[in-house]
Amino acid sequence: MTTMLERSLKYVDERLGTASFARRALRKVFPDHWSFLLGEIALFCLVVLVFTGTFLTFFYNPSVREVVYDGPYEPLRGQEVSAAYDSVLRLSFEVRAGLLMRQVHHWAALVFVAAIVIHLCRIFFTGAFRRPREVNWLIGIVLLFLALGEGFTGYSLPDDLLSGIGLRIFYSVTLAIPVVGTWVTYLLFGGEFPAGDIISRLFVFHVMLLPALLIGLVVLHLAVLVLQKHTQFPGAGRTERNVVGKRLWPEQTFKSVALLLLTTAVLALLGGLAQINPVWQYGQFRPFDVTSPAQPDWYIGFLDGALRLGPPWDLTLFGYTISEVFWPAILFPGIAFGILMLWPWIERRFTKDHAEHHLLDRPRDAPARTATGMAGLMVFFIMFLEGGNDIFGVLLNVSVEAITRTLQWALLVAPVVTWLVTFWVCRSLKRSHVHPARISAGLRLRRTAAGGYETVDLEPTSHPD
Amino acid sequence: MDVDRERELTADQRKAERAAAVAFAVAILAGIGLFVVYFSGGQTQIEGVLFSLILGGLGVGVALWASRLLGAHEAVEERHELTSGAAGREAFEHALAEEVGPTLARRSVLVKLLAGAGGALGLALLLPVLSLGPAPGRTLRETPWRRGSRVVDETGKLVTLNSVPEDGFITVFPEGHPGAADAQALLIHVPAGSLRLPPDRMAAVPDGTHVAYSKICTHAGCPVGLYRATTQSLLCPCHQSQFEVLDGAKPFFGPAARPLPQLPLGVDDQGVLIALGDFYEPVGPAFWDRGKR
Repeated sequence: MTTMLERSLKYVDERLGTASFARRALRKVFPDHWSFLLGEIALFCLVVLVFTGTFLTFFYNPSVREVVYDGPYEPLRGQEVSAAYDSVLRLSFEVRAGLLMRQVHHWAALVFVAAIVIHLCRIFFTGAFRRPREVNWLIGIVLLFLALGEGFTGYSLPDDLLSGIGLRIFYSVTLAIPVVGTWVTYLLFGGEFPAGDIISRLFVFHVMLLPALLIGLVVLHLAVLVLQKHTQFPGAGRTERNVVGKRLWPEQTFKSVALLLLTTAVLALLGGLAQINPVWQYGQFRPFDVTSPAQPDWYIGFLDGALRLGPPWDLTLFGYTISEVFWPAILFPGIAFGILMLWPWIERRFTKDHAEHHLLDRPRDAPARTATGMAGLMVFFIMFLEGGNDIFGVLLNVSVEAITRTLQWALLVAPVVTWLVTFWVCRSLKRSHVHPARISAGLRLRRTAAGGYETVDLEPTSHPD
Repeated sequence: MDVDRERELTADQRKAERAAAVAFAVAILAGIGLFVVYFSGGQTQIEGVLFSLILGGLGVGVALWASRLLGAHEAVEERHELTSGAAGREAFEHALAEEVGPTLARRSVLVKLLAGAGGALGLALLLPVLSLGPAPGRTLRETPWRRGSRVVDETGKLVTLNSVPEDGFITVFPEGHPGAADAQALLIHVPAGSLRLPPDRMAAVPDGTHVAYSKICTHAGCPVGLYRATTQSLLCPCHQSQFEVLDGAKPFFGPAARPLPQLPLGVDDQGVLIALGDFYEPVGPAFWDRGKR
């Protein structure tokens, strides 16, 4: 007598021959370290985004046609609004669980980008991008871009005042591209701002083009990972020739399912209890209205801050103009992300290290890399702070002018200081063998032959140097 | 059978099993609760919490199962060589080149024509992209303001010298275009004798007190919505560029590099404000050939 499982396995295997492949897949080994779950959290956010997003598309109407709002939200009743804005209000107030879905979607987007960024930091600071994983590093950076694009286009769809201002700024940035800026902007927006096409175009980007690329590249990212196998931290029994950890079945599967469920649980809780993007408070976008303070979603904050910090220098060359927007919003991110993308090759020029690496560095093992990464993070952090200078101004009772001037100086000084301090800390840690996050089991005083005393660490680090 | 298994579990595992059972039970109860809430009209916060409890209960249960009940043990997997080796690459190259025949290798006219035809197809596929938007033409240099356009507010009401109190300001448009994005201008009523403009610009300020500037920030295009009457300065809330109203709206703080373009105004015989022409410069943020005429 055969069981149901045996019969269906037989059916599939006789047609696709999958059993031996599947058996090997079940025995794949995953290193057991919490930092390896960051990428998984990003992946699970993407799952939540696809499901909630699909729900939202059933109600959203990507049209700027004028309609009169007559729904239950009293303050806006009777106002002329766009069909897009109207559909978001209806989704929020009239569709049962609609607001929950919308808020979970928005929270998932914020956590998605955050998880990607922290995952990226883990890969960077442990040197996981080194040969043979340079290509997957590149795919990862492109995934970050796509995630940012998804975030920005999604943020712009409700056609509320805040998102309209964001679009206006984006329009001005594309206009500042040298030589082709005007044409690029007109082709993208369908004409001079606010051309009527942009909302429907953003919708196509948000629900079709970018997700198709994103999901395709995620599959590729994971396929390369499986092909190359995981990296791992050094430790007992772990070498460049093996992977030590838990098998896909059952341990890793149970762990991942639990993580998927818990990630979604947190997102559901946030979406239910923590209000986000209450577009009905901002009102319909009108090109001559503005609101203050105005902040984008967190991951665009550094760009908005860069625009606030930027010097008022426009340049006229042979009668042609390079906008002051060009330096902070095109040149700076271009260079920063260029360095990020090319980092595996940049680092190799200095280290001359062409060997394959499957064992990870601790951040202290590569002081120059860690210092450069920290300095880069400091640049982004200062820009992020400046992006909220109007909020901090009110909170701290300081003028925005003072905050901006301070942060302009900080931008020049802090990254250098960060680099030097990080470098020194890494070097010292490397010499001292102390684990910064592990509390020592204790110290023992020992009398030396000369009659003095010295301290002995009871638990020397398990990492061989 | 069950009794035997029961005996194999340690006390710690039995505790974990009970905890997981409680977690699953919470998920079931929350599920029932969610049904009740949904069908009795729905409530966003409660729905979120209950939904989270279903997921969280399941998640905690599975996590406990994974960490305590699976008897997880460490496994070791050997890495395989990533490269196919020189011989493998050579074999591939051979398979790739062998079947094509001699034509490709000789870079003959045929191959060049093939490349040319491919290029033509590429260009042809780019053509539809040009249909996505109109040619910019002069649109970025012109606004609906014309010589003689009567000035109206955003509701379309005509504006006179009495419409704005001293130190007040309103957003104005050319008649027939209320709300037009590129035409929006700020009409500011400043105290008499306070403006410091060149004589030809001063001539376009009715009564010497009603000056109008483009409301589109020359930095990144946000509406310059805040006016500080105490310092007679305009502030863009997006990136805090600030402009000196009395001095031709020149920027004095923040990232903007150019003044807000002035709109030349006059008064018609009925006392209504009219434009004497379009803005003196292209409005809004800079673009590549902004300086060309």
